[in-house]
Formats: sequence, structure tokens, C-alpha cells
Amino acid sequence: MKRSLLVPPQSRREFLTGVGGLGLSGLLGAPAWSGTGESLVLPFVNGDRNLVKDFPQKGAMVLQRTRPPLLETPVEVFDQGIFTPNDRFYVRWHLANIPTVVDPRTFRLKVRGHVTQPISFTLDDLVRKFKPVEIAAVNQCSGNSRGFFAPRVAGGQWANGAMGNALWRGVSLKAVLDRAGVKAGALQVRFNGLDTGILPQTPDFMKSLDVDHALDGEVMIAYAMNGAPLPLLNGYPLRLVVPGWYATYWIKMLDDIEVLDKPDDNFWMTKAYLIPDTPLADIVPGQQGVKLIPINRMVPRSFFTNVKDRAEFKVGEAKTVRGIAFGGDTGLAKVLFSADAGSHWQEARLGPDPGKYSFRQWSVQLRPASTGPQTLMIKALNTAGVSQPERANWNGSGFMRNVVESVSVQLV
Amino acid sequence: MLNSVRFKSVVPLLLCAGLLSLVCGIAWWSAAKAEAAAGKKEVSSREWAIVSIELPAGDERFPPGNGADIASSQCLICHSAGMVLTQPPLKKDEWRAEIMKMRSVYGAPIPDDQVDGLLEYLTAINGRQ
Repeated sequence: MKRSLLVPPQSRREFLTGVGGLGLSGLLGAPAWSGTGESLVLPFVNGDRNLVKDFPQKGAMVLQRTRPPLLETPVEVFDQGIFTPNDRFYVRWHLANIPTVVDPRTFRLKVRGHVTQPISFTLDDLVRKFKPVEIAAVNQCSGNSRGFFAPRVAGGQWANGAMGNALWRGVSLKAVLDRAGVKAGALQVRFNGLDTGILPQTPDFMKSLDVDHALDGEVMIAYAMNGAPLPLLNGYPLRLVVPGWYATYWIKMLDDIEVLDKPDDNFWMTKAYLIPDTPLADIVPGQQGVKLIPINRMVPRSFFTNVKDRAEFKVGEAKTVRGIAFGGDTGLAKVLFSADAGSHWQEARLGPDPGKYSFRQWSVQLRPASTGPQTLMIKALNTAGVSQPERANWNGSGFMRNVVESVSVQLV
Repeated sequence: MLNSVRFKSVVPLLLCAGLLSLVCGIAWWSAAKAEAAAGKKEVSSREWAIVSIELPAGDERFPPGNGADIASSQCLICHSAGMVLTQPPLKKDEWRAEIMKMRSVYGAPIPDDQVDGLLEYLTAINGRQ
């Protein structure tokens, strides 16, 4: 479904400073939100949110939930460059016991399980005893854009800002595992961070990769993003980086790596973060009996960053329309732009390419010739031949949305 | 405290040569310096800093109504009210499924005799037919 059908159209100004429509607070006459700062309206029902600046090491962020924090990157940040600044990078925690102090003198990264020699590393060890590696890669929440699902589904009600792109610096996971010596018969590698649940019954948040994936030389342990230590809310001091895969695998505050000789049966691998085993995880609402598998590789996406619904373009004036795109689990092949709701497509110009897992900027020049409404669309194709669908994919968990994006503009 | 001498000694350990490393180093150093000035960060024997933060308490509250006390005493154990209040309007069955998931999967200690009251409350504040 086209976004324009779901969206109460808003100007940029309204988006940034909207005073709220008929959200919960309006309906109830109760101050469900009593924030003192700016508010905004995400373009779906019950989309009233506060723009907050009181989270540590973070600038203005869209507040989705205070505890444990869910903070969304405001869309205009993506217009400012293809690397998302650390202080605007989205935040997503599952469990509320998040250490608020990390002491690097006592912090250790442990490697254990089905290995020749269990071993632990200080942060200095990682910096000094390993060759540093760097990769530009998009980190995107499995449920990014869940708020646009139709019919709606429960979960974090993100717009498109549960994603970010960074230059990650750290050490290769393979190099770390090689020091411990992965034994024959290893099947998976499980990653755990310092966060835990409030209740002892709450399953600890852990994720696993198949051993071949873990040893592919590309998965890494990052100690820096965009040239600085990670903000604590993004996983200081160490975060797993799984290029091309959804962020659920990018364990924050990583301190424990366990090599398993049997499949990981923990809750977060076998019950949560499952998708229908269908193309783009797409099913019909209500469809039953679908095989479910763990979510895995990302799919291509593209976004407008300098045009919003109901924007006005002047006839005869040149206008640059631009945005960002990424290929998912492989590089972008091209980004296609349509000025006529998808009847005709033209190739957009692509900006610098920092690597196949990174955002790239796209742009086109428009010079509208006649007045009236017009629907602009943008579609990414990756080098594996996968393109964004023109009809929105849907599943009951709100994962993997990647429909072609549309904006409706007025030519005047 | 971080000083320029230490900064110079840190760079070779952390960063590759070239312009990128200079930019990175300055960013790293600036962040550490700002944190240290704010009294929130000490510099350890090497380049890594103790990071200490405070998370905001937030001002999200459940709106008043029958059952608000159950929501406040149960849901807020693990998450703030925003998790509930930002949801799209859900059908009663969908809210029931959420309550049951919180009990069976995450261990929410919601007694049997409070389930219906909580369900009525959630449906009243954010439900649909």
C-alpha cells in the first residue's frame, strides 16, 4: 500500500512542531504525555510522540518508550549525511536492567563453550593484540516502520527511524574465536550482553549465529562507531556488528561469547524474532500454518529525506529531490525514481559508496512542467536482483517492511 | 584526566594513520574531555574511560480509570507506560494476548483475579471493536 494512503499529510513544519491530534491524550483528556519539549506526530493513528533531549549522550530523539529505552532517529537526520551521528543514532533495548556504569578496568569479553581454550579479553587486549577492521554498515531494527503496517500490529510503533548507518571499527569475530580455537562439531555461536531482565523469569536476551557465519571474517566486534566510543545506549563498550543482518543480532554491551555444539534453543532464537518463511516474510493477515524461521538478512530499502507529503514544487523551477537507500544484505545496484506514481521509472544519481552495507545518497533533478498533484516514488534494487515491492509486505510481528516509498506533492 | 600527552600516546594504539585517524582521534579526545569536564568520566590507566550515565525517569503515566492501579503495579515492573500508550488501538482479544504473553513468557506476576480488570482497563483506554 502506498504510504500516502496511510498518512495524514503533514508539512515539514507540522512534523517537527505539531501539537498533537486525536492521540490518546486528546481522547482521554488526560495528560498521558506531559513532556515540556517539542512534540511531533508520526504519520499513523496514535502517533503523538515527544521529542526528547534528556537521554545521556543523545541529542533530540523521538521518544517511543522511556524504560527500557526506545528512541527513534528523527527523519531529518537522514538528510544530513549517510552516516548517522552517534548522538542521533536510534536506541532499542529489550530488558530494563541496563548497567549505567561500565568500568573498562574490570570489563572482560569471555569466549567459552565448545572451544579448545576458554579465554577472556580486556578492552586493551582487543585494541592492541588484534588488527583493527572497519566497515560501514546499516543497523536496522527488525521492526523498523512497524507503525505503517496495515492492519496494525502490536510492538514498538516505529516510523522509519529505527535504523542508522555507521563506520564501525573493532576486531574480526573470527580472529577472536581463533584465539579460543573453535572445536570440530561446533554448530552455533551465542552472544550475550550485560543487560538482564528485572524479573528472574524473564529470558536473558541472547542471539546466535551459525558457526560458518560467525567465522566468515566479516562479522565483527566494534569498539568504536563513527570514530568515537559507542554511546552507552548503543552498547558501550563492545557491540557485535553483523553486516547485512537485522539489528536483533547486533548484541550490545557484548561480554559473553559461547560456542555451542547444538542448536541454540533459547527463547530469543526459537520463539521471538521469527518470520514467515516466505519471500519478504509476506503473508496475508490471518494466514495460519506458515513455517516460521529466525529473521535474518535485510532487504533493500530507499527513502525520501528532503520531501514530505503535501510539499509544493513550483512549475518551471529546478528542484533536487534526494534521499538515502541501501541494498540490505548486499550492495545497491540502482535506485529508481518515478514522478508519475510508478508508470515510468528513471535511474537516480547515486552518491559516494563507502561499502556494500552502507547507506548511499540518491538524488534526481526535477523541473515540473505543469500544475497539479503528483506522486513521487523511490525504489531500490540490490546486486542480487532483489527490489522493493510496490505492494507492502505484511506479517503479524511487523518485521521487514520494505515497500516502495511514496510522497504526494503539489505542483503549483 | 586526559591531557595532550596521553592523547598522543593513545592514538597509535587506537587509530590507523592518515586523515581519518586524525578526525577520529579528535572526536574521541573531545568526547572524553567533555565527559571528564562534566565529572562523569575518569580516564583509566589506558584510553578506555569509565562511563557512567543516568537514565531519565520519564513522565509517562497511565491515565486514570478502573484498573489503572493494576496497570501501574504490574506493567511498570518491567517497562514504562509508553509501551502501552503508543500501541495502536487493539481488540480485546489482542490485549488479552498481550497480557498472557507478559505472564507466560516474561514472568509478569499478574494474579489470575487481576487479568480481567487489567484487560477491561487496556481496552477502555486504547481498544477497538
